[in-house]
Amino acid sequence: MALLELERVTKNFGGLMANHEISFAVGKGELLGLIGPNGAGKTTLFNCISGAYPVTSGRIFFDGEDITALKAHEVARRGLARTFQVYVASGDLTVIENVMVGCFMHTRSRSRARAQAGEVLKDLGIHDLSTALLNELPVASQKRVSMATAIATQPRLLLLDEVAAGLNPGEIEEIMGSIRHVHEELGMTVMLIEHVMELVMKISHRVIVLDYGQKIAEGAPEAITRDPAVIKAYLGERYAREHGAV
Amino acid sequence: METLKSALDFSDFPRLDLVVAGSLAILFLIFPVFPHSSFAMATMIQFLMFSLYGMGWNTIGGYGGQVDLGKAQYVGIGAYTTTVMLVRWDIPFWFSMPVGVCFAVLWSFVLGYPLFRLKGHYFAIATIATSLVLKDLFEVWDFVGAARGLEISPIKFPPPDFLRLIFKEDVYYYDVILGFFFVGILYMNWFRKSRLGFQLRAIKDNEEVARSLGINVHWAKIKTYAIATAFVSVVGSFHACYIKNIEPEDTMSLDISILIALMAMLGGAGSLWGPIIGAGILIPLKSYLKEWLGATAGLIGIDLILYALIIMVISAFEPRGIWGIVQKVRRRRQ
Ligand SMILES: Nc1ncnc2c1ncn2[C@@H]1O[C@H](COP(=O)(O)OP(=O)(O)OP(=O)(O)O)[C@@H](O)[C@H]1O
Ligand SMILES: [Mg+2]
Repeated sequence: MALLELERVTKNFGGLMANHEISFAVGKGELLGLIGPNGAGKTTLFNCISGAYPVTSGRIFFDGEDITALKAHEVARRGLARTFQVYVASGDLTVIENVMVGCFMHTRSRSRARAQAGEVLKDLGIHDLSTALLNELPVASQKRVSMATAIATQPRLLLLDEVAAGLNPGEIEEIMGSIRHVHEELGMTVMLIEHVMELVMKISHRVIVLDYGQKIAEGAPEAITRDPAVIKAYLGERYAREHGAV
Repeated sequence: METLKSALDFSDFPRLDLVVAGSLAILFLIFPVFPHSSFAMATMIQFLMFSLYGMGWNTIGGYGGQVDLGKAQYVGIGAYTTTVMLVRWDIPFWFSMPVGVCFAVLWSFVLGYPLFRLKGHYFAIATIATSLVLKDLFEVWDFVGAARGLEISPIKFPPPDFLRLIFKEDVYYYDVILGFFFVGILYMNWFRKSRLGFQLRAIKDNEEVARSLGINVHWAKIKTYAIATAFVSVVGSFHACYIKNIEPEDTMSLDISILIALMAMLGGAGSLWGPIIGAGILIPLKSYLKEWLGATAGLIGIDLILYALIIMVISAFEPRGIWGIVQKVRRRRQ
């Protein structure tokens, strides 16, 4: 059975249709990419899935349970975690304290939360940042901390919203390593929004493309790269040519 | 067990903090032994009371970042419960105080549920409004003495009375409130490290992110508001026995609400020592101004001018107050 299933999910903001009748399923253990031009409705879709926004119509199932009407914290407690595209931190908490907040979803004990948070930070190779304040860190590190915080809730499904945006090639390699680690070693199902094609095409098993709130394609990365509709809407002729698709 | 250990564990503070805090604790303990004026004694009691008010406020206002300007209504609920129960049915402080806490906490749930649907300034203004409404109600409620208030007669309850908390010498009041003060610090030391403490800081940081980490933001705020309320109500009950004469205008005025919030904000909202530092500065200042200018101080509103100035300075320069400055300097040194 699919871990996540969307049935004709629609989200309107007034007259604007940010998501229109989107349906797809994510299998257990899958690594799924979600791409599309700016304003296509990718982040909105994450917000609907994670319960941050109520959907206008349609239904969402997580592990067989209808979670359409659940609040964000209820969805999180069922094992669905996410990161945020734009993240404003006031800088009150240190890195490890941030991650501990995630750990506190499963324990009341501070010592246990601290130990677990240390593990997660080590896992992602950012243990040396433990005592730094979040707003003092460069963007690349902030993204990894927000990933660590989400992972700390021990989710079954992890939604990553543009964790590689604004990073240099070296940093992209690193975060790609982290995503693979989370997926393979920790066994989480991952769905990621990404504009960095090198990353998303390389690690996704399957890619879904949104444009103007609609799903315009779905398939293996190679097929998506060759899809004329996707090239026209998003990838562009040049990308297709360089990747030998045309 | 782990709770108690956590409450007693201050090891994450630098040695300097502990030395200063320890010395002050000893100083407070032996203060009554030294010769002192009644003015100094009264100021010390006020200082301890307001430290406790500030600690309570600090849970929701400091760690949780919800600027609550309506704490006076809970001072009133505590004070009135204790006074009414004593005057009418001769029920002693140690019984009426927990009853007052129950009333106050119940009321805080009734208010907290809708209030925490509001954000930022709207929340702050709504807390002021609810507090003023309750004060107005008490001013016309005959059972509690309406605007005249209620008096605890020391003739009817001859001092010293440890059950009813009726004393002639202030030193007894000092001992009691100092006991509460130490318990308050231990509680806050536990609180700041508890799951709820962490969740509140996450909420203050970013509510949307907090929700995505499984935190029921609305409920966490209501719970914490109740904790803050309990603190304030206990001290309110104490206040009634200490002052022995309560009326809505004194106990539940907007001044009290603002002073409570200001104390914690000046010293450092969201830190353990903040409210104590704030009270340590503001209460003596307020007392001396009153002593110095006499009744005219209140008349020309000099204390209000002072509060306004402090609010402006804090919000312009350092929202985390004096303790925020100390922390900044320390981080830079590292
Ligand atoms: N809270 C909101 N209220 C009103 N309109 C919104 C809201 N959130 C998003 N939108 C609109 O919905 C559309 C989709 O936005 P969304 O953020 O989902 O796009 P996106 O695919 O994530 O884009 P990007 O790649 O730039 O992050 C946009 O037109 C946006 O302006
Ligand atoms: Mg987006």
